[in-house]
Amino acid sequence: MATLPHTPDKGDFETAATTKSSTSTRTPKTAPRVRRDKVTSHDSFLNYGNGRWWKIAIVIAVVSFATYFLIDVEPRHNGGSWYGYTMGTIGFALILWLTLLGVRKRAMTPGRWSLKAWTSAHVYLGLSLIVIGTLHTGFQLGWNVHTLAWALMMLVILSGLFGIYVYATLPKALSANRYDEDGAITEKVMIEQMKQLDRQIHDAAQPLDPEAATIVERSLGENVFAGSFWQRARNSYPGDLTRIAMGELRKLRNFRPRTDDDPFERVETLLSKKEALLAKLRRHLQLKSWLQAWLYIHVPATFALIAALSAHVFSVFFYW
Amino acid sequence: MSFLVRQIALKASGDEIVRAKRVDGDEMKIGRDGACGLHLPDLAVDPEHALVTQLDETHIEIESLHGQPFEVDGQSVQRKELDVTLGSELKFGSHRIKLGQDARSRFPTFTVRREAPLSHSNSDPDTNEAYTLKGLVPGKRMSAWAFAAMVLLAFLAWPIWSYASYSDLALKKDAARPAGYHGDKAWESGKLSLAHQGLENDCQSCHVEPFVAVRDNACQTCHTKVHDHIKDTARLVAARGEPGGFASFTRAVATTFNKPAGRCVECHTEHEGAGDMAPTAQKFCTDCHAEMKSRLPDTKLPDAADFGTSHPQLRPTVIADTTDAAKPKLRQIVWSQDAKEFNGLKFTHAQHLSTVNGVAQMVRRRPNEFPDQEGLDCENCHQTDASGVWFKPVVMEESCQTCHSLTFDKIGGTFRTLRHGEPEMVVADLRGFFAAGAPTRPINLDSMSRRVPGDRAAAETAGDYARAVRFYPTQAGQAIQMLFNKGGACFDCHNITRTGTAATAGYNVQNVVQTQRYYHKGWFTHAKHTKYECVDCHVKAQNTNDATDLLVPGLDGKGGCRDCHVGGTGAKLASASVKQPVESQCAMCHDYHLDDKAPWMTRLPASRRASYDRRRNAGAGQNASK
Repeated sequence: MATLPHTPDKGDFETAATTKSSTSTRTPKTAPRVRRDKVTSHDSFLNYGNGRWWKIAIVIAVVSFATYFLIDVEPRHNGGSWYGYTMGTIGFALILWLTLLGVRKRAMTPGRWSLKAWTSAHVYLGLSLIVIGTLHTGFQLGWNVHTLAWALMMLVILSGLFGIYVYATLPKALSANRYDEDGAITEKVMIEQMKQLDRQIHDAAQPLDPEAATIVERSLGENVFAGSFWQRARNSYPGDLTRIAMGELRKLRNFRPRTDDDPFERVETLLSKKEALLAKLRRHLQLKSWLQAWLYIHVPATFALIAALSAHVFSVFFYW
Repeated sequence: MSFLVRQIALKASGDEIVRAKRVDGDEMKIGRDGACGLHLPDLAVDPEHALVTQLDETHIEIESLHGQPFEVDGQSVQRKELDVTLGSELKFGSHRIKLGQDARSRFPTFTVRREAPLSHSNSDPDTNEAYTLKGLVPGKRMSAWAFAAMVLLAFLAWPIWSYASYSDLALKKDAARPAGYHGDKAWESGKLSLAHQGLENDCQSCHVEPFVAVRDNACQTCHTKVHDHIKDTARLVAARGEPGGFASFTRAVATTFNKPAGRCVECHTEHEGAGDMAPTAQKFCTDCHAEMKSRLPDTKLPDAADFGTSHPQLRPTVIADTTDAAKPKLRQIVWSQDAKEFNGLKFTHAQHLSTVNGVAQMVRRRPNEFPDQEGLDCENCHQTDASGVWFKPVVMEESCQTCHSLTFDKIGGTFRTLRHGEPEMVVADLRGFFAAGAPTRPINLDSMSRRVPGDRAAAETAGDYARAVRFYPTQAGQAIQMLFNKGGACFDCHNITRTGTAATAGYNVQNVVQTQRYYHKGWFTHAKHTKYECVDCHVKAQNTNDATDLLVPGLDGKGGCRDCHVGGTGAKLASASVKQPVESQCAMCHDYHLDDKAPWMTRLPASRRASYDRRRNAGAGQNASK
């Protein structure tokens, strides 16, 4: 997407979408340019500030590697050399700062220290932690609390990396799923549509005989959000009651004489509509579960990491 | 009779809407079918579910029509007679029906309410949570606390407890914790070296006190015989001088965190993995010794740096006094070309090594004992000990006596010999010899006279006694006097004084002590120098007949170490002419923990030597890149 450079300080109009700093009070001196090509100013946190943070992260990694190989540690690199302690201290401070995103994200502010800037820094400094933390170990790994801390750190980083991956790829699928011929529907609308459909099914099923009514009743009673985490993540719901209801109803209908205004047919049509809506809802749930699941590893592992890190540092000084 | 039916529905606002109707007749059907008097739009209810019959003014009967049960006051029934004045609660599907009696008309009343929503979606699920994973996976907060707590328990609390339970075993040599896993093993950053494998389970044996870095006393619990480089650690640290630049920063940090300098573990690092202990770091000797005088003004050690250019003159330990033969007085002197040492023995090295004099002639006359020899060789008298490092003391009976015979008499075919090393016996034997009235003739004990070596010479000597009988005194006193004075057998080799007792006729033979090792602070091994001739280094042996000349080579001069040995990087003095330079670092001769053995570097078995060299060289490569 080609974009004109946007320079509010030179007088370009600012909108909520283009503003970098909502506190700019400078009066435009030149005639404002009118921007027609601007579709969106959305700048992902991955590329915030023209990629400032990934550049910084690369510099950190390069410097870390260079010093690792240039600095002579006898008899070999390990966490207990001055270089090891330096890397360890930097890593520890970095981990605490990265954890603070959980606090910081609850307050959104614009500008240089905007949440987006923080997130960008969080992502790239977090990735550079792979280098810092691993060089801190001097590649001496074993079955101990020190390596546990390293492993948890890697788990946190890799789960975060996975989070970035799903954030980068799934929202598109999420939107695509929510769009239909009438435009996008929200989560609330989805459930409203479901309510509506259920009421229609309920009304249409009134003339049915007790056997068929029971079948339909089961579909209505089904919790549309039911299913384990794995069912959600895999979008696989064997024994779905709506599906079974449709099947059984069709079986019953096969043995009935055809009539013009057949309530079975009406119910069946409505049930297949419900099934389609359910599929959309469940696809939505699947995508959302992937978008959220990594955090259920990322966050608890972070706290386990901080605990392991504390034990690690404590043990070093205890058995000094 | 009639029935009153009140249907109650809820508005969105929560208000109730009541729709009442009257159903005439004595019977009323309850069912999903719209034709039923009490119509329940409920899929769980049969189209015609039950029939209500009025029995009398106050009693009704409800009976299921198609065998589908319903609930009365919580009980599932097919048929039930009820007293309307008492009231009752019926349940059909999701509908609850309150039975009563209208106060005015006395008709039975049915108040109908839908209890459950008609579908799950209509139960208004909390969409804020339903779309999240809440309830499906353990909550983030909960698992965060749980994991953190587990980690702290297993890796902090348990190890501390393990330490606390056994801390009293510290500094006790053979005290060990019971076998099995101990919590603080999780803190072990790497396996101990094989040498310390036995301590693997006993963290407290080195980590004596919490938050106190490992101190030397822990090492010394077992290592009781290691020679300190210097006893006083403070002086050791002082000799290193004040670290400058970055080193002073790291020193300051270490001090802040209670890590004093000069501890064993500074060089002997552990937890680097099972295997040989990591080679000690190359702390350069010259870091301290090059300019030590400036940092430790009272040191007796001269400054030393590169061997090729700035090593102090060697300081051999020589004999000062042999009065106590078992423990002679020694003193350290600075080596020089004309350094002297008298060990009690007169010996003419040049004369004995000559190839053209009488000594050489005697050697050539005895080809069986000295095959293919032009004259005496060093090894005819000097033999290395089993290690090959040093030389065994020369023994008179083995080396000298073959020429310098002490025979004084012949009885039958047996030669009588003066007892070497026992002057009292010598005197007693001679007195006895003369006192016994045996041949009162003088004996020829001039061992310096030329003669054919071997037994034949001894026989000749005996013959000489007989021939000389009329020229020599016939008294024991005279014989003894000749023996111990110039020209006599004892006097020729030994230093004789007149301080002896009556038992030795007043003569005293000075003890002879042979120095086996001249250089005690540095290591020298003859075994590594076998491809050279002795006189290549012991140059003076060929050209001095003065027994007091010190024959051990020094640093410089012909035969000095620097003839071959140059500095660690090949440096040498301009004055030195070196044909085959041997690059020599400090560790070739010196050991940090000095003992009687070869430096650690040179005494490794070949198998370990290779691995040690490899690791050292890898370290050297890193040094170079710095």
